[in-house]
Amino acid sequence: MNKSPRRRIMAAVGLLAGLAFLAGCAKDAPQDTWQPAGPNAEQIDNLQQPVFLVAGIVGVIVFVAVAFAVIRFRDRGQAIPEQTHGKPALEVTLTIIPVLILIGVAIPTAGTIFDLAKTDDTEMVINVTGQQWWWEYDYPSTGSNAEAYGVAEPIVTSGQLVIPENTKVLLRVTSRDVIHSYWIPKLNGKKDGVPGRVHLLRLEGSKPGIYAGQCTEFCGLSHAYMRMETVVLTRADFDAWVANQLKSYESPAEGTLAAEGESLFIQQCSRCHQVNGLTNADGAPIIAAPEQYVVSGAAPNLTHLMTRNTFAGAAWDLLTEECRDDVWNATAEDFGGKYLAGVSAECLNQKDLREWLRNAPEKKPMYADPTKLQETNGKYRGMPALGLTEDQIDALVAYLLERK
Amino acid sequence: MITTSSKLFYGLGAGALVASIVWFIANDGGSIGSVALLFAALSLVFLGAIASFTRDGHVLSTDTASHASSGAAQRGVSNSIWPLGTAIAMGFVVVGLISSPGIFKVGIGLLIAMLGEWMIQNWSERGSSDAAYNAKIRNYVVHPLELPVGGALLLAVIVLSFSRIMLSLSHQAGPLVFAVAGAVILAFGTLVGFRRSASPRVIGAICGVALTALAGVGVATALDGERAELTKAAEEDHFAHRPCGEEEEEADEDASRSVSAKSSVQATVILEDGVLYAEVDGFEGAQQSITLQRSNPSTILFINRDAEPHRMVVKYGKVVEDLGGGVERETELEACTSKVEEDGQQAVTLTVPKPSYASEEPFEITVPGVEGTKIDLVVP
Repeated sequence: MNKSPRRRIMAAVGLLAGLAFLAGCAKDAPQDTWQPAGPNAEQIDNLQQPVFLVAGIVGVIVFVAVAFAVIRFRDRGQAIPEQTHGKPALEVTLTIIPVLILIGVAIPTAGTIFDLAKTDDTEMVINVTGQQWWWEYDYPSTGSNAEAYGVAEPIVTSGQLVIPENTKVLLRVTSRDVIHSYWIPKLNGKKDGVPGRVHLLRLEGSKPGIYAGQCTEFCGLSHAYMRMETVVLTRADFDAWVANQLKSYESPAEGTLAAEGESLFIQQCSRCHQVNGLTNADGAPIIAAPEQYVVSGAAPNLTHLMTRNTFAGAAWDLLTEECRDDVWNATAEDFGGKYLAGVSAECLNQKDLREWLRNAPEKKPMYADPTKLQETNGKYRGMPALGLTEDQIDALVAYLLERK
Repeated sequence: MITTSSKLFYGLGAGALVASIVWFIANDGGSIGSVALLFAALSLVFLGAIASFTRDGHVLSTDTASHASSGAAQRGVSNSIWPLGTAIAMGFVVVGLISSPGIFKVGIGLLIAMLGEWMIQNWSERGSSDAAYNAKIRNYVVHPLELPVGGALLLAVIVLSFSRIMLSLSHQAGPLVFAVAGAVILAFGTLVGFRRSASPRVIGAICGVALTALAGVGVATALDGERAELTKAAEEDHFAHRPCGEEEEEADEDASRSVSAKSSVQATVILEDGVLYAEVDGFEGAQQSITLQRSNPSTILFINRDAEPHRMVVKYGKVVEDLGGGVERETELEACTSKVEEDGQQAVTLTVPKPSYASEEPFEITVPGVEGTKIDLVVP
């Protein structure tokens, strides 16, 4: 049976509306701004709920009025009614009502904006630096960071930002190359990272767990792969995390596969990636020189890679799916222990890590084509394919597994 | 029938065809140039065919009645300023050939514009016997070019004149003049907005007088030169941005970016009562240490609250360059402000390539002439 065009259009509209409605039922939605997990996000939520309600009511009224006018007064060949202009009472009323609604929305909005911009009660400061296509976090070892949280030496990490629960953390967001935007929806709004500028963003998590985010400013080829996670730990767990990050470097035992991996890392990887405490044969510290090889002048510090759950701009998990679920779905009480355990040999996501080491640009597009280096003055935008053999990858994986 | 003008097109077309063949042979089968010339030949032959078909738009030579009544026969081209303009443009071209490439380029631009206007006037004023219609078709063709270019030139005169005036004024007078000029323009605009009956001619005349005055003052101040400290800064080569020069006094170094650079800095370093301290967003109170990200363009603002002018110096290690043949060159990395007067401020932007722990010398911020106080720079 042939349906009329109008019915088909109605069916299509109904289908789209149904899909949009069902999209709200997503079970696994780690970036849901409607599920706040900290006071800053709660403030935003407390504002957006009534605003959304008001906007929804106004929207429904407008849509119904338009639909009524379209149907009731549609052209049926009738004569054009008398044309009039101006109904002062109605026009004034229709002006005053939106003005009142907007004033009603503006007052709490302004209050929330000022509240979210407060910095005078900061308890911890972390520098957040974006570059194509990953985030770096460094914890300065001054002020309250050192005095109250034991950050005796600067800590540099990437992918996952670790903060203590119920602590007012101030992120100083900037960028090394293009504009990026830092957003952990469950913890606060977004803030642009702009080269040469420092923008401030408050972050506070009230429950231990992992909170996912995504760069929200289009920043080039692999923007979609520029993800980030914020890990909230109890104060005791955070102290343990800090202590571990400050732990001295331990070389792999001689004769092991990991020791082979260390040699290979020094030859191939340490040109860009810093591992604090790594020394050459003369005992001199090896200082990575990413400024010579990478456009942004930086590459992730891998000193404690296996204390994180992600790699390559948090685009892939270091944990297998089962182990990842175990950490992500842990109760608040168990979460810290499971997170601090880091990545074990059994839980390592060998597949993605090996694929990355085998040919990183194939996994994450990074303009890392050696034939096009002339365009970037001989520098890569991301990790190039290193041409490693499978044996070399085995050794590197063994070495990296010990970076805890 | 081969008409007069079609001969020209056919001739050019044949020439282009020959050139296309020559190009193809001379460039070992190089295709792009020969294809372009071939298309040119086809286009020209097509135009020739149109000219033949329309017989150059002429009425029959035997139709004398039409000769007498045709629009073109009725009107001649009126007096024109474009030959004079063309002569002046030629003068620019000749002078430019002798003196400077800039004048030559301006002359070429003017020459093209003058010849274009001249050609269009000749064409449009022969269009019909109706002067209004001729003006209309002229404007239809030329206005899309004339108006944007004229507007851009007008804007350039305003901007250039205003910038010359601002560069000649003192630091104190500059903002005042800027505010007053803005207020006057706003008041004039408001007045015009409210008095809709105002004659466009009067408004145009006022704008014209103001523009002339602005351009006149702009030229006068340009001839008079920039304000004293800018002249001095130019003499001392402040704008070369060489690290830590020998300049004797403050200059608004890199002023074009100072407003945005000062608005969102990594840290503010203050010299007060002989002590250097830093203010860093998020950290309470005076800091004696600043943490900067490696390889990241970072701006530090220096405020001098001392009575004497001072300069802030940031030292951040050294780089060793391999000059070949076993020869290395070591360069100390440092960034400085120029000398800043009391209560003045200046931003300096630096990118630190290496972590501070990799250097034997400490990374630090100091003020020469003020001993016993410094700020540590930590680059993790």
